[in-house]
Amino acid sequence: MEKILLRNIENPESAHIGEYMKAGGFRSLPKALEMERKDIIEEVKKAGLRGRGGAGFPVAMKWTFASADPKFPKYLLCNADEGEPGTFKDRPILEKIPHLLIEGMAISGYALSAEYGYIYLRGEYPAAKDILDRAIGQAYEKNFLGDNILGKGIRFHLSVHQGAGAYICGEETALIESLEGDKGQPRIKPPFPVNVGVFAKPTVVNNVETLSNLPYIVEVGGEAYSKIGSPDCPGPKIYCVSGHVEKPGVYELPMGTNLKDIIFTHCGGIKGGKKLKAVIPGGISTPVLPPDKIDCPMDFVNMPKHGSMLGSGAVIVMDETVCLVKVCYRALKFFEHESCGKCTPCREGTGWLRKILGRIENGEGEAGDVDLLLSVSSNILGKTFCPLGDGAASVVQNFIKHFRQEFEVHISSKTCPVQGLNA
Amino acid sequence: MIAVNINGKEVKLEKAVTVLEAAKSAGIIIPTLCSHVLLEKYGGCRLCVVEVEKMPRLQTACTLMVTDGIVVRTETDAIADVRRGILEFLLINHPLDCPYCDKAGECTLQDLVEKYGPTTSRFREEKRKVPESLEDPVLVRNMERCVMCTRCVRMCDGVQGASAIAVISRGGHSHIEPFSGGKFNCEYCGNCVTVCPVGAIMSRLHRHSYRPWQLVSETETICPYCGVGCTLVAQVRDDVIKRVVPRIGTGVNNGLLCSRGRFGYEFVGHEERLTTPLLRKNGDLEPASWDEAISFVAGKLKEIKDSHGADALAGIASPRCTNEDNYVFQKFFRMAIGTNNIDSTARLGFAGAQKYIENIFGQGSTANLIPGLANADSVVVVGGDPTAINPVLGLQIRACARKGGAVLTVGHVKGLRYFTPLEMPSSPHMETALLECIVSALREKKGLPGSNSVLEGKIKDLNSSPDDIEKTCGVQEKDFSRFTDVLAGSSTPAVVIGKGLVQSAEGGYKLFLACAINYLINGRIYLLTERANEQGLLDMGCAPDLLPGGRPVSYAEFRKRYETAWKGEISEKSGLTLFEMIEAAENGSLKGLYVMGENPVFNMPNSNRVENALRNTDLLIVQDIFLTETGKIADVVLPALGWAEKEGTFTNMERRLQRLRKAVRRDGKDDWKIIAGISDLLGMRMNYTSAEEIFAEISRVSPIHRDLTYEEIEKGNVIYPYKGEPLRGTPGEIMTHRSEVSGEAGKLLLRLERPLFHSGTLSRHADALTNIYPEAVARMHPDTAGRFSLSEGGRVRLSTSLGFLELPLVIDESVGISDVLVTNNFEGKGAFSVMDYTLDPVTGAPMIEGMEVQIEKGVTA
Repeated sequence: MEKILLRNIENPESAHIGEYMKAGGFRSLPKALEMERKDIIEEVKKAGLRGRGGAGFPVAMKWTFASADPKFPKYLLCNADEGEPGTFKDRPILEKIPHLLIEGMAISGYALSAEYGYIYLRGEYPAAKDILDRAIGQAYEKNFLGDNILGKGIRFHLSVHQGAGAYICGEETALIESLEGDKGQPRIKPPFPVNVGVFAKPTVVNNVETLSNLPYIVEVGGEAYSKIGSPDCPGPKIYCVSGHVEKPGVYELPMGTNLKDIIFTHCGGIKGGKKLKAVIPGGISTPVLPPDKIDCPMDFVNMPKHGSMLGSGAVIVMDETVCLVKVCYRALKFFEHESCGKCTPCREGTGWLRKILGRIENGEGEAGDVDLLLSVSSNILGKTFCPLGDGAASVVQNFIKHFRQEFEVHISSKTCPVQGLNA
Repeated sequence: MIAVNINGKEVKLEKAVTVLEAAKSAGIIIPTLCSHVLLEKYGGCRLCVVEVEKMPRLQTACTLMVTDGIVVRTETDAIADVRRGILEFLLINHPLDCPYCDKAGECTLQDLVEKYGPTTSRFREEKRKVPESLEDPVLVRNMERCVMCTRCVRMCDGVQGASAIAVISRGGHSHIEPFSGGKFNCEYCGNCVTVCPVGAIMSRLHRHSYRPWQLVSETETICPYCGVGCTLVAQVRDDVIKRVVPRIGTGVNNGLLCSRGRFGYEFVGHEERLTTPLLRKNGDLEPASWDEAISFVAGKLKEIKDSHGADALAGIASPRCTNEDNYVFQKFFRMAIGTNNIDSTARLGFAGAQKYIENIFGQGSTANLIPGLANADSVVVVGGDPTAINPVLGLQIRACARKGGAVLTVGHVKGLRYFTPLEMPSSPHMETALLECIVSALREKKGLPGSNSVLEGKIKDLNSSPDDIEKTCGVQEKDFSRFTDVLAGSSTPAVVIGKGLVQSAEGGYKLFLACAINYLINGRIYLLTERANEQGLLDMGCAPDLLPGGRPVSYAEFRKRYETAWKGEISEKSGLTLFEMIEAAENGSLKGLYVMGENPVFNMPNSNRVENALRNTDLLIVQDIFLTETGKIADVVLPALGWAEKEGTFTNMERRLQRLRKAVRRDGKDDWKIIAGISDLLGMRMNYTSAEEIFAEISRVSPIHRDLTYEEIEKGNVIYPYKGEPLRGTPGEIMTHRSEVSGEAGKLLLRLERPLFHSGTLSRHADALTNIYPEAVARMHPDTAGRFSLSEGGRVRLSTSLGFLELPLVIDESVGISDVLVTNNFEGKGAFSVMDYTLDPVTGAPMIEGMEVQIEKGVTA
């Protein structure tokens, strides 16, 4: 497939507005400004665009809610807090083709009657901060942003806010708290951000990749867009593949490309011809799959049917040399570290799980520890304030579901059969 | 109407509330650690999970709003399992030190584990350890017991508004810090203690001295400190107050307290309390029997009356004493002695200010409900920091700001600085001009309402134009316009007046201007008072010109009513005011002074002069609970029962009558009983057997207290004008004389700090409060200190025409650039020893604030 989102990515100067425009950029914005706001939302609806952050929520629906709220001003936030382990799909957009995002936000801002936009950028992307700032400056110079965009009397201002290194700030209400200057912790919903968001105003939070689809939708129309990829959730999708494959990296493919094809066709198969042991298909919080379960279309609809989720489309491939107890331990260490501490099960449970996993990996596990892991994780699952705790619990449950034997061997042999924790 | 089914029970609700509240209204208690009725919703602990039909997963009852027809179950096996799981999580890092923990017995976590389990621990690893912290003077923290419910943070942030604590770090490393140690702005209200469900934050005062179930006696009473009159509960073991707690849903304060109220009770039963009468013999005060002391007093009073007349005697009443004490005191002076020479420290501002305000707006115009402030759309504050003088009232102003109301301050009000006030910075010399400009601007913007021609005449006469506002008032034109626009546009404004206004140069004139502002915006006036019963003592007639119920002595008609009731004759001559008493003592015409529950030698400006005057009398009687500065020079000292040791009533600044109750037993006599004993010897029998009996007489005699009973007061909400008849005469002449301004612009001025933590006699003997604020200090702006090369902690000498004080320096950015702040709370270091005064021609209040002061480095090390 021709690249749509990443079409100019090979150009070393792609981040410059001139190069972006040469490649056809900023043609959708003037077109959009000629359209009625509701018609843009209608095109998005026809396109069937679903949020690319992980949950796959229909974008047009979110936008309709925010548009229907009579309060002003409204805000458009771009969630660029790409923190899910294994995920680096937004990064090329932010660093290589920032104007795609800027154009997408300007179009979305217009469609939503939002006059202010913020890009909430993860703190660990310092390069992207400079690139975005520069790009936004260029867009202002060309009058693609500002008080009177392209002389049409449309106002949209955009700036970048850097996070301080919290995974939870990828959760939209925590992101809003953080943007407001408070501690990044999720808020009680309802009210939802579309009604009471940042500064208590209607707010739309969309992912980088999601917003970057807007110029193309406006360019070709929702109808044509909806023909790409899976009919239930169409469009191009950026997959990022890491781990033991020959060609790890970022791949723009039609939504619904088979996971097996991604690994074995696009990425050249398992590195060094080793045996595949496990795949995490959509970032660390999506359920792990054993090799016999990876023949599935990677989209929001089909992945759950195959026992996992699309998540952010971050495929982590692990070969036979990997100790899965250690991976599980490492994942829980991440969740423990990133738990915001607001609710009890996540705050206390993630650490406890990590401790049990640590002792199993270290050969200090005891009979019953696997059941203890299952019991503790089921005390977390479904009881937490936000999905972070669910993610942590489901990682443990799914690793045990598919690889229980490996855990039991660690305990019975009092050692890691694959490698020591500190190896 | 919303109908909800909870555990099979139909619950009908007027409006949508949370499932938790709905259940509570039906008597179904859903367990929770993080939810609290005073606090914002949080949803963190997850204990309140419930099953809701047609909802996919368990829902938290504290966050879910009810909708019509929902079916909820709060106790099922599945729910119990979840709760046990949550409690297990909480316990993995919670020390099981219940045998040692003071909270045991009233700990929510303990109670919940008892109900839901778990009974054993599956956690094998090390628990998180946090050492006990005694860094704080009044709190003890055991943060390893913390369950991260964040109630304390939400209390501190969202209710108290101090924002002294926050959750630091995240996840399992989350902890709550810092409390105080001066690092942040802890106000030591201890409201975090109220809401902490476990033993993480507790009062240090009673540490390890009781078990909650040993607090067998609980007495609901009224705080002894300020005029807000918060309801509090004294919990007692073995006749010692172990702690003071508020009661949610009760009183003006509804569960909130300030540092004084919560931690200031240790004066009760203090070792320095007076226990026996003292008589001066051969120059020294020596213990004497009651009989001896009382016959001495009666004999001397009679002797003076016989040889110099009744007007050679005077009495100073007490804003710390009950209405009953004060009523008996003035009756004693009017009837047994025969003089109207009765006054109190209300003369330092409150009495004059109230009289002035009532003269314009009618009696009772300052009797406005404190919680109403939170619902005002704007609050103007002049003359002091309400969050320090009347802290719980201050919280209502903060609540008003939080709800979007405008807070407007004349001068810098430290306690409101985080509440986006519209501030008109003001120095004492520009305050009058500024207030005049505000009145003029409001007159232009609002027009005259036309309901008070006398006042309007005065307002029309003002010819200040806000044109050169920057020069004359030192404020920016745009700030001024915004300030007056907001005021002019508000529909439910309130005007809060602190004593600082009337105690500064041109105080009376400024009060007129404040009243003019209030008139133009049609506001409600709140007159602050730092004494618990200042309003009550005035209502009891402890004033030289007023009889009980605020009826003027000068009207024969009123006198007659009391003469009938009291069966005697009331002198028609208005008595001496507090300051006239001092002058009369100086010139020898006042021979005897009876001081009840007051310390004029310390609490009046130019205290050396007051001391010399009092030494000049032939008879100085001091009746108090401690040996005060005044007691030390007295001829006879009579020990009285104090707060928590007696029954009675207080009248707060809203003129709400409230019951003061006896919480501990102590040998001794009520103030009224001592007076009655003396009265008997002087030939006027006072046959009262209880405070209630005295109140019954008050309710017969005083027209505003008519038909009130203790029973009724105990029910609460006995609010002015009760069933009585306030005086609603047409306003007479409104005085607007301007006093002379002392000091000059550009000079350093001595001003009073009215700190949150002290009140004088009581707080000085409350160890917790002296630990928080241990010594007298001078506060200065960093620039001022810099100009004199003074540094924090160094000693500074403050000299005025009356003498000097040497104090450690505290640098404080909130102090005005021309001001030096000193308190009048510490023995031997009272600001009043170097502060002189002149009396305002309008209010009769001493103009204390703003005296010129020279500063230099202190000479002592």
